[in-house]
Amino acid sequence: MKDRRLKEFSNEELARYNGKKGAPAYVAYRGKVYDVSMSFLWKEGNHQVVHRAGEDLTDAMEQAPHGVDILEKFPVVGTLQTKDARHGSSFKELE
Amino acid sequence: MARVAREMVEKSGINVDQLVELLVKNAAAELTTYYYYTILRCNLIGLEGEGIKEIAETARVEDRNHFEALVPRIYELGGKLPEDMKAFHDASACPPARLPKDPTDIKAMLTVLVEAERCAVRGYTHICNMTAGKDHRTYDLSQAILNEEIEHESWFSEFLGEGPSGHFMRRGETSPFVSKFLR
Repeated sequence: MKDRRLKEFSNEELARYNGKKGAPAYVAYRGKVYDVSMSFLWKEGNHQVVHRAGEDLTDAMEQAPHGVDILEKFPVVGTLQTKDARHGSSFKELE
Repeated sequence: MARVAREMVEKSGINVDQLVELLVKNAAAELTTYYYYTILRCNLIGLEGEGIKEIAETARVEDRNHFEALVPRIYELGGKLPEDMKAFHDASACPPARLPKDPTDIKAMLTVLVEAERCAVRGYTHICNMTAGKDHRTYDLSQAILNEEIEHESWFSEFLGEGPSGHFMRRGETSPFVSKFLR
C-alpha cells in the first residue's frame, strides 16, 4: 500500500536542504515543504540573490513579484512543524 | 566606478552588492534572451510563423538594448560582468528561452516567448520596488526596461488569445523607453 504520509520537517531539518554541495533545495510556504531542486532559478539553493533554500519563505512571499501559483508547480515533499507540534510521529497524514 | 553615486545608494539603505548582483543577473537574462530569441525567430516560419516573426524580432532587439543599458550602471555601482561567459549565462535571472521540441507549434513558441517576458516583468518590478525613492538612477533605468518588457508580454499574450494588448506594433525606432540610456 502506498504510504500517503508526508514527512514533517522541523526548521532545523529544513535548513539542511539548502541546495548546497549536492543537497536538495527545499523551501517552505504556509506549512508545506516544496522541492525546488530542479528549478533553474534555485541553483545552489539561491533565488534572485536574496532568498535561500532551507528556509520558510511564507513572509518573503508577501513581497515577491509573483504569486503562489509559481510555487505550486513544484512537488510537495512534506510539511513544516508548527511551534506547538507535539512529540511523537514526524509524519502527518495527507489532508 | 562612480564612488559618490555608489555611496548615495548605500546611504539610502540599499545593499549595493545585492543590487549589483541582481543587475548582473538581469543583464545575463537580457543577453541570453537575445541569443535564444535569435533561434526562435529563425524558426518562426510558414504562414503562422511569419505572422509573429516581426514582433519577436522587435522584442529580441529591445532585449539586447536592455543589456546594453544595464552594463554602465553595473560598473557605476562598482560591479562588473563575469569574465566567463558560460558563468554569465548560468547566472541569468530567467530560465533559457529554449526552442520548443516542435518549432512548428506556434502556441508552444508563443508560450516560450511570453514566459520569458513574464520573468523579466517580475525581475524589473522587484528592482523598481527595491530602488524607488532610494536609487533614482537605477529606478529610472529599471522602470524604462520594465515598460518595454510589459509591452513585450502583452504582445505575446495577445497572440496567445489571452485578450487585447492595447498596443500597435512599433512604428519607427525600437526601445521608446530605454533609448535615452543608449546615447
